[in-house]
Amino acid sequence: MKEIRIQKIVILLVIFFIVSAAVYLSWGSYQISFADIFLTFIGRGNTFQETALLNLRLPRMIVAICVGVALATSGGIIQTITKNELADPGIIGINAGAAVAAILVVSSQTIYYYHQLGSFSIYLLPFSAIIGAAVSAGIIYFLSSHKGIKPKKMILVGLGINAGLSAFMTFFIFRGGVGEYNRVLIWTSGSLWGTGWEYAKILLPLVCVLFGLVLLNYKKLDVLQFSDEHITSLGLNRNNERKKLLTYAVVLAGGATAFAGNVGFIGLISPNIAKKLVGGSHKHTLLVSALISAIIMLCADAVSRNLFSPIEIPVGIIISIFGVPYFMYLIIKEN
Amino acid sequence: MEAIVVKELSVGYDERVVIEKLGLSILKGKINVIIGANGCGKSTLLKSIARVIKPQSGAVYINGKDITKQKEKAMAKQIAFLPQEPICPVGLTVRELVAYGRFPYQKSFGGLSKHDKEMIDWAIEETELQEFAHRKLDTLSQGQRQRVWIAMTIAQETDIIMLDEPTTYLDLSYQQEILQLLSKLNQTAGFTVVMVLHELNNACKYGDNIIGLKNGKLICEGSPCEAITKENLSELYGIDATLQISENKQYPICLDYEVTKKVALVG
Repeated sequence: MKEIRIQKIVILLVIFFIVSAAVYLSWGSYQISFADIFLTFIGRGNTFQETALLNLRLPRMIVAICVGVALATSGGIIQTITKNELADPGIIGINAGAAVAAILVVSSQTIYYYHQLGSFSIYLLPFSAIIGAAVSAGIIYFLSSHKGIKPKKMILVGLGINAGLSAFMTFFIFRGGVGEYNRVLIWTSGSLWGTGWEYAKILLPLVCVLFGLVLLNYKKLDVLQFSDEHITSLGLNRNNERKKLLTYAVVLAGGATAFAGNVGFIGLISPNIAKKLVGGSHKHTLLVSALISAIIMLCADAVSRNLFSPIEIPVGIIISIFGVPYFMYLIIKEN
Repeated sequence: MEAIVVKELSVGYDERVVIEKLGLSILKGKINVIIGANGCGKSTLLKSIARVIKPQSGAVYINGKDITKQKEKAMAKQIAFLPQEPICPVGLTVRELVAYGRFPYQKSFGGLSKHDKEMIDWAIEETELQEFAHRKLDTLSQGQRQRVWIAMTIAQETDIIMLDEPTTYLDLSYQQEILQLLSKLNQTAGFTVVMVLHELNNACKYGDNIIGLKNGKLICEGSPCEAITKENLSELYGIDATLQISENKQYPICLDYEVTKKVALVG
């Protein structure tokens, strides 16, 4: 009964996903019909279609999907471990840490800015963002664990660190010039502008491997929803498991943030919608929340690319516009 | 026969010592009831046995083996623990929750085995929850919910089950229902039961072995008649109790009591 309902939901979501992917590839300043998309994929499209589709839209679509899956999975893990459905990757300091590292790189780079646009520069920002994310996650972990992780303390410490890092960020933006300010602003708002195969080639394997690893741990995640006493009594080493799963969450969210900037709210809303649709077992919620997140990312990025074309609005802003009302709804319902 | 032996156990949180050099035995196949005033270390003792808290020194042996020298899953097949305020993941049905008791036996991938399903059915039958099996947990009453948690605990297929205040927050009839269930499980299925109880008369009525703690130290140990005496109650709770023997002459009943010294508040 329940299994059949879940199957129906998954099938429906897969259809949605395929439709949004098709619309994503077709919609743009250069329109490509669905038939042409198919023809181009089997190598029978014209040069324009090939360029637009294979070199621009397809890699960007892969990055968008990967970012969505990574943030949803990371958010799901963090919500389970902190036992708080309002937690998201921002809580473990990933966004702020990555943003600060990115700002430091951007502002120290100004001298070389124009003559160093090789492949090194493409990777420098994401790479330093991952390090920034890891450092701030490490600090939060260190401060909130005394003889094992305390989930509640982690949320409070996370909020504190986030506030501190945001202040630091604002300070640097004030000091920097207009050029850097814009670049940083686009990055911190979360944008897929300019992503190509270079990013997709790194992000796709990273997200596939980690998503697989997390899925392998679905039963442990289920058990981690119980109280500390129960987790231990059921034979799970709660500290080791929490550490391991938090590491997966940091790498997933850090990787996504590094390439797409601060895409807010998606890590919060996707797992919550999934829980509403298919219930509490991670076997279903991880998969469904990844699908939902991918669909949201595709729709939001399609809108952000095209709505005010030729100006692109960061995808994070589109998601926030829809995410904020949902967030409010959750908080009001909570009381 | 001892199911659990505690030797020279000291447990504390940071500087505060809760249990100091405690030694006691939990008897196999019996109902062991731990009593004592608030903050005397009852829950801390259970948590130390369940390995939730690491002791500062001393050792706990379950079925003759040191608990720190065994794997988590191996331990989970020997002893199950129902904490005082268990958290239930949102939206689970009774059967789904009981199925979590089978976690120690499962591989990280794949569904429930035939034996897992049999054990879940058995646990639901023993706790008389058949008609609620597919109901959501949050639609049940407090007493029914407690039975579900007990079903999950026994589905873990262990010799020993530990319960931290299983009757707190329940009204009188539910209290008896839960204790009768545990007594039945002890007698028919042979579980060794270890539990913390606050209600003295329940402890005497259902307990085979009473363990009285005060400030983390053992005050009395033995059958209800041996352990529950006027002197021991005065020592444990600082009360002057009026005791009487039950009709079947098996256990003492506390009829009334007055507070003599405020020991409980200091501890």
